[in-house]
Amino acid sequence: MKDRLEIKNLSKHFGDKLVLDNLSFHVNSGEFLSILGPSGCGKTTLLRILIGVETCDSGLILKDGQDIAPLTPIERGMGIVFQNYALFPNMTVLGNVMYALKNNKKTRPKARERALDIIERVGLTEHINKRPHKLSGGQQQRVAIARTLAVNPDIVLFDEPMSALDAANRIALRKEFKQIQKEFNITMIYITHDQEEAFAMSDRIMVMSEGHIEQIDTPRNLYQHPCNEYVEEFVGWQLKEKIKSIADTTGMFE
Amino acid sequence: MSGALIHRIRTHNYALPLIICLFFLMTVILPTGSMLTKIDWSKIGSYVSTDLFRESLINSLIVSSISTVITLILATLMAFCVHRTRIKFRYGFSILFTLPMLIPSISIGIGMINLFGDNGIVSKLTGLVPGIYGPLGIILGSVLYCIPVAFLMIGDVLKYTDYGPYEAAKILGISPFKQFLSITLPGLRGTLISACFAVFTLCFTDYGVPLAVGGRFSTLPVYLYRDVIGLLDFSKGAFVGTILLLPAVVAFIIDLARSREQTTNFVKTAFRVSKSKLRDTLAFVFSCLNALFLVLFVGSFVVMSVITKYPIDMSFTLEHIQGVFNRGLLSYFGNSLFIALMTAIFGTVLTYLTAFFTARIESKVVGKVAHLISMLSLAIPGIVLGLSYVILFNGTPIYGTFIILIMVCIIHFFANPYLMAYNAFQKFNRNFEIVGKTLGISSFKIMLRVFIPSTLSTIIKMASYYFMNTMITVSAVAFLFNAMTKPLSMFIADFTGQMMYEAAAVVSIIIFLTNVIVRASSALTAKMLKKKGIG
Repeated sequence: MKDRLEIKNLSKHFGDKLVLDNLSFHVNSGEFLSILGPSGCGKTTLLRILIGVETCDSGLILKDGQDIAPLTPIERGMGIVFQNYALFPNMTVLGNVMYALKNNKKTRPKARERALDIIERVGLTEHINKRPHKLSGGQQQRVAIARTLAVNPDIVLFDEPMSALDAANRIALRKEFKQIQKEFNITMIYITHDQEEAFAMSDRIMVMSEGHIEQIDTPRNLYQHPCNEYVEEFVGWQLKEKIKSIADTTGMFE
Repeated sequence: MSGALIHRIRTHNYALPLIICLFFLMTVILPTGSMLTKIDWSKIGSYVSTDLFRESLINSLIVSSISTVITLILATLMAFCVHRTRIKFRYGFSILFTLPMLIPSISIGIGMINLFGDNGIVSKLTGLVPGIYGPLGIILGSVLYCIPVAFLMIGDVLKYTDYGPYEAAKILGISPFKQFLSITLPGLRGTLISACFAVFTLCFTDYGVPLAVGGRFSTLPVYLYRDVIGLLDFSKGAFVGTILLLPAVVAFIIDLARSREQTTNFVKTAFRVSKSKLRDTLAFVFSCLNALFLVLFVGSFVVMSVITKYPIDMSFTLEHIQGVFNRGLLSYFGNSLFIALMTAIFGTVLTYLTAFFTARIESKVVGKVAHLISMLSLAIPGIVLGLSYVILFNGTPIYGTFIILIMVCIIHFFANPYLMAYNAFQKFNRNFEIVGKTLGISSFKIMLRVFIPSTLSTIIKMASYYFMNTMITVSAVAFLFNAMTKPLSMFIADFTGQMMYEAAAVVSIIIFLTNVIVRASSALTAKMLKKKGIG
């Protein structure tokens, strides 16, 4: 699989604090990579550097072999979806998804057509004329995704997108995320602090703590072959405890 | 890292902020600086030792202090009546209590004469004639002038108080009185202090009320007004202007220190007012008395306008009104409308852009500086600002035109609309700009297509604030108009000086009615927008 994104020796300081410590990793084309870590481990900073709203102190970011550091966010061919959706409150669903397309001379002629197509593919056609405040959290999340997909990014970054949703919604949305990924064939980089969610959705997971990468591997390998104590505790032990408490209280596995 | 810098410049557009900073440099910093440099420092000794200066300074301090105390007590009581009782017509009372904001301060002074003068309405009704000319009249007028401001400040705190702690206290069995002492008062303390300084500054720097009703009792702003207009002594004017600047600067610093310790207001639960017949009865009586006074006050202008000569000849007449129009005052009314409209339009645009820039753009340093300068306009009293513009712009092409009048009004009234916009922007999701960047939409476009449609009611509030205040201002424009550009409000002083109180009343009513119309229509528009779910 081709390297979609390659990060080499990325470091970032905020004042005296070292937030990202010499990170190096790659992202495969079309994969779902989760960045898993506790609050303050630097994952949001990493995301902001990748999308281009924050600069790094040192290191290289290569997309398809090209250095993207001097490029503005739109030039990087990446999209981003936030935890609080950031939908434009005065526009309808259709308006939100179409806006970026209408704004660009090249895409303007077919903006409506394309927007309707994407909205259909995320299953929101019956809501196209509704304003965001009339939609549920899960629906708003799908609008946010559709808006990003409208400009055809190669990579979409997700900043804890499901943190604001209740459990039932999250589990339902998981399937939809994977479906969308398959349909649109995009690489997804997904930040979360929820181990179970990362495991359920990812091709690979990058476990971070305090600005550096502990391990980056498939879910199975992370669980069966943790490379250090941290990964074993933060990942393996947490999952085991969750399952154990469910097993004990429900007798599910008896 | 040059790469980082290039990236930063590419992703953040600095053109607009730079223009705004330059504008403030030209309209706030330079004028104030030039005024300070105009002072002939060698003459300060002679200025200070002038008897009239000393007298005016002491007079100003005394009446301002007394007025401040009375204003705060009354305004606090009024605010509690509106927000902490269950009396009927609360909303109506709150509108009435802010009526004095719709007329010039000098008119308020005249209103005192209308009511309490030798031939005043109240004097004739009660048979009592207080010596209204002098400190008593100034205090009464200043209190009326300042109550709306204090009332709104305190009312805002009461409106948005979180009921959570009160509920917890109730459950713990803490008496209402103790709750008031330990929860309410500490919560109000900061606002009361700010209000105290704001009101003091307003009284200290106002020249409208003392000019109308002060008589021989000289205050500092009147001293400045007479010296500069009368004798054109700019050095002395600059010196007095600087003194007038001091309380405002203190108020500004106090406010700044307070804003740091303020946390975001989370209104978790709306305040629930308990039932109390006694309290409500007292509050209702109090509010009615105030309302009655205000109605009398406005009514006095109507009486003076259409009664031939109160109380000698009580016949109805239109000759006062006709007299005003015969003097060609209609065109000066046009001047006022024009200046107010332009101020509203350009002021709102400028303020909105500045607030957008400081609230939404991520550069912290530039943002803070711009924020500070914007708020600085609050610290400079109108009369001082006007004087500084005379000193700086005298001889330039904009001097003596409408442009300088519009400019001075925009800057003079800048701070409050700025805060309205700034606070509105703070409520929006922080991530809009990032989303915009990843979709290739500039921040400016996001402002146009997302923020403006979503803040329409705030924009209307801003524009009407600019309009109404420009209509009533006499201080900022006092030194800057000429025969062509003279606003209507300035005629009130002329008529008062010539003892033509009826004409002054007519002009005051015209301005008052204009502002009532503007305020009513903006309130209605805001209501309509809310119904439609916009803005």
